[in-house]
Formats: sequence, C-alpha cells, structure tokens
Amino acid sequence: MSRGGGKRVMNLTVNGDDYEILVSPRQTLLDVIRDQVGLTGTKEGCATGTCGVCTINNSNGESLLSCITPALEWDGQSITTVEGLESNGELDAIQQALLSYGAVQCGFCTPGVVMSAKAVVNGNPAPTEEEINDGMAGVLCRCTGHIKVKEAIRHVEEFKRPTDS
Amino acid sequence: MLLPVHEFVKPASLAEGLDALNSASGEVKLIGGGTDVVFNMRGRLFQPDILLSVKDFPELQLVEELQDGAVRMGAGCRLTDLERHPLVARFPGLVAGFRAVASRHIRNMATLGGNLCLDTRCWYTNQSAEWRDAKGPCLKTGVNVCFAIKTSETCVALNASDTAPALIAMDAVVTLASADGERAVPLAEFYTDDGIAHTVRRPNEIMTAVTVPPSSAPMVYIKETARKGNDFAYGTIGARGPAEDTGHAGQTRLVLGSLTSRPTLLEAPAKIIDEHGLTADAIDAAAAATRDELGALTNLYTPAAYKSQLARSLVRRALTNLQEQLR
Repeated sequence: MSRGGGKRVMNLTVNGDDYEILVSPRQTLLDVIRDQVGLTGTKEGCATGTCGVCTINNSNGESLLSCITPALEWDGQSITTVEGLESNGELDAIQQALLSYGAVQCGFCTPGVVMSAKAVVNGNPAPTEEEINDGMAGVLCRCTGHIKVKEAIRHVEEFKRPTDS
Repeated sequence: MLLPVHEFVKPASLAEGLDALNSASGEVKLIGGGTDVVFNMRGRLFQPDILLSVKDFPELQLVEELQDGAVRMGAGCRLTDLERHPLVARFPGLVAGFRAVASRHIRNMATLGGNLCLDTRCWYTNQSAEWRDAKGPCLKTGVNVCFAIKTSETCVALNASDTAPALIAMDAVVTLASADGERAVPLAEFYTDDGIAHTVRRPNEIMTAVTVPPSSAPMVYIKETARKGNDFAYGTIGARGPAEDTGHAGQTRLVLGSLTSRPTLLEAPAKIIDEHGLTADAIDAAAAATRDELGALTNLYTPAAYKSQLARSLVRRALTNLQEQLR
C-alpha cells in the first residue's frame, strides 16, 4: 500500500437516490454530501463533532455526525439529509412543527436540529422530556433557541398528515 | 479542511483485519466509530499512513452471556446499542458509564473498543496544528518537553475514557487478538502511566471483546463535568460496594477516571470499606485516603488542587450512594 491513498469509487444512497462517487480517503461524509452530491443543506460548523449542525440520519433513522466520519466508511450505505424529508413539496411534520413554533432563528443550526429532532420522533410519537434532551443535547443553537425546539418536538403529532407513518 | 493524506482500509472480517495489520507498511491507526480518531486527524495530531476500520467486523458485534454468567460485549458494539442491551442492563453502573459518553449523536457512532482505547488529552496538544506550532512541540509531538509538568519525563496527558472506570470497577477483562492468537488482559492492567503509549495493546493487536463477570454487588457511576451533555469529564468514578451479605472481603472497587494518565484503582480506600463496611466513619477514612494514591496531579483543564478535592468528593459521593442502595 503506497502512501497517498488514491481515490476510489464508492456507492452511497442519499435520500433514496443512488450515487456512484469518486472519493478520496481525505474526505469526510460531509465533504461528499456537500461537494459531490451537491446537497448543501447539511452544514459544517465546528468540524470536530461538537456542535451537531452536520447531523444526518442513517438507514435506521438515527442521528450521526457527518463531519467526523470518513466518507469511505459509508460505502454501500444509505443516509438521509435534511433535503430528504419533504415529500411532493410538502414539509415533514417535524419541519412544519419547528416552523410553526418559531424554532428557527438565524437558521445555521437548523439542518442539524431538524435531523436530530427527526431521530428523536422516529418511531416515538410522544418522546419524554428526558428523551428529547438526550437526542438534542448534541446539537447546539448559538441563538440559544433550544426551548422552542423542544416545544416543537413535543407537538410534532399535531403536524402529521394522515398519510404519514 | 481535508483529512491528512492516508490510505483507508476496511477488511471484511477480523482475520482479514489482522492480515492487513501485519502486512501494512507505515503507521496504522485502528478506527472504530471515528469520533476521536477523525477529530485528532483534523487537528493533525494523528497522521497515520493507513486507517484500518474495525467496527464492522462481524466478530466484534456480539453481546452474549457466557456459561459462568459473565457478559461478553464485542468491542465493535456501539455505545447506544450497549446502553440499551438487556444483558448490559444487569449492570446499572455500566449503563450509566456508557450513557455518560458525549452526546447521543456520538454514541450512535462510537464503539466500546474505541472508547477504551481513546487517546489521552492535554490542553497543549489537543489544539489545532497552528496553535501547536506557535507553542512548539512537546513529548507527544516529538521533543523532550512537557508543558503540563515542566520536570516530567513522561507525557502526563489525561485518560479520557468515561467507560473505563465503570468497567474496571466491574473487574472487566479485555480480549486482544493478533495473528498469533488471543490474550486476555484485566482492564485494570490495560492502561499505563504514560500519556503517549497509554495502553498495553501492541501494534499488531485488535481489541475484540470486553467481558464482565457476574456480580450482584451494588454499583454506581458518577461523571463530573463543566456542563451536562456533550463534554469530557473533569473526573469520573466507577464504584462497586461490598455485597449485602458480609463475607465478601475484597469486593469493593473504587476507580477514578480522567484525573491522571490512567484510570486509578484505589487500593487503601477500598480496603477500608472492605474491612469496616459502609459506615460513616469508614467513608470519611476512605475519602481521606484517596489523594495519596493519585500521584502527581496536573493543572490540565482544572487546577491540581481542584482535582484533589474532586477525587475525595467523588469517593465520598460514590460510597454514600452505595450505602443508600444497601439501606
């Protein structure tokens, strides 16, 4: 194995679409999502796994940090980014809840908040206070809008359409 | 910023992984969830030639009960899966130790083996490359200087594993696999006093499992941080009390973490509790006997005087909690 590790083709499913991407070992999953897949909703904040704005969901709907995971680790996997939540132009219930409860201020952390909140309510329509804190502690809002975010998560059920699972 | 130049290798099994480890030329860094490794690569503290991904080896995923009632956890298990596993639920102190690690996001990625092998941390090295360039190199980055303790000949960076104190308090044993076979090392003997070569894992070994023997004794885990949630610890303690029925001399374990380069298994304080039980006087005596076992303390992240006081306080709080559990 030579130093300098060449690029390699990886397969990645993003929001249900399959991509075949030429990736360098030097890239994180976040780099690939933004620069190659071209979905710039997912943000780079601290780039060290502290702030959570790069949060995406894996195929089990769990929150993960795309900035501290090597892209090639994800070869063959499926992920959801903030762009993948809407269907037919309509926002997901959690997005609608966050919007309606004024949980968006400057908006930079919002993609991370949305994906973390999505993971909290995934299969759990009525998360407890503890579950909300547990799922949201890893994403930081510098506008300190955490209270409204928690309110929105508590009320997500009100925004579900009959067709939602 | 791109990660440093390296080769990324992801073998399909433990056997292939050990082969890759043996045939590799250059420095190899094992990567589990990557939450610490990639972080350190971003800071250019780690610049391995090869990253070898071990977290998806099927051999490292299993959680099972052994014949003697011990619970064996694969080193590749994610912390999220472990804290919710019914077999792990038998050890409330362990669940607390797993839950103490960072945030849900991190625990959805981080592995048990990764947390146990977590690199030590220092205020002077865990900075950006530019910051370190301005300060100049130290023991960990290539010269014979320590900024934390000027006279120290070894690196005194702090152990940062939240799970280690909880597991050591439960007499956990780690399994290390190499091409030559497996060896078992009690976790209490896994760490060294050196902040650089901080574990006894050899370069050709991969941690495969952690085994916790059965225990009915009460246990407790406490993590002290600046703020709740996503943070490294100022100090942690994993503790196991004497079982309710007497005649279990030698059962008490008190393990302090994050205060020095290795988790510290306290001997004298545990002996006091084994001999006198969880009485108020014994708890006082155990707390008072704590500081002597920690050796030199640094001013890394918190002042040394604070660390002394925190150590005594953690011992007292843990023992008081155990006393309440037995009441």
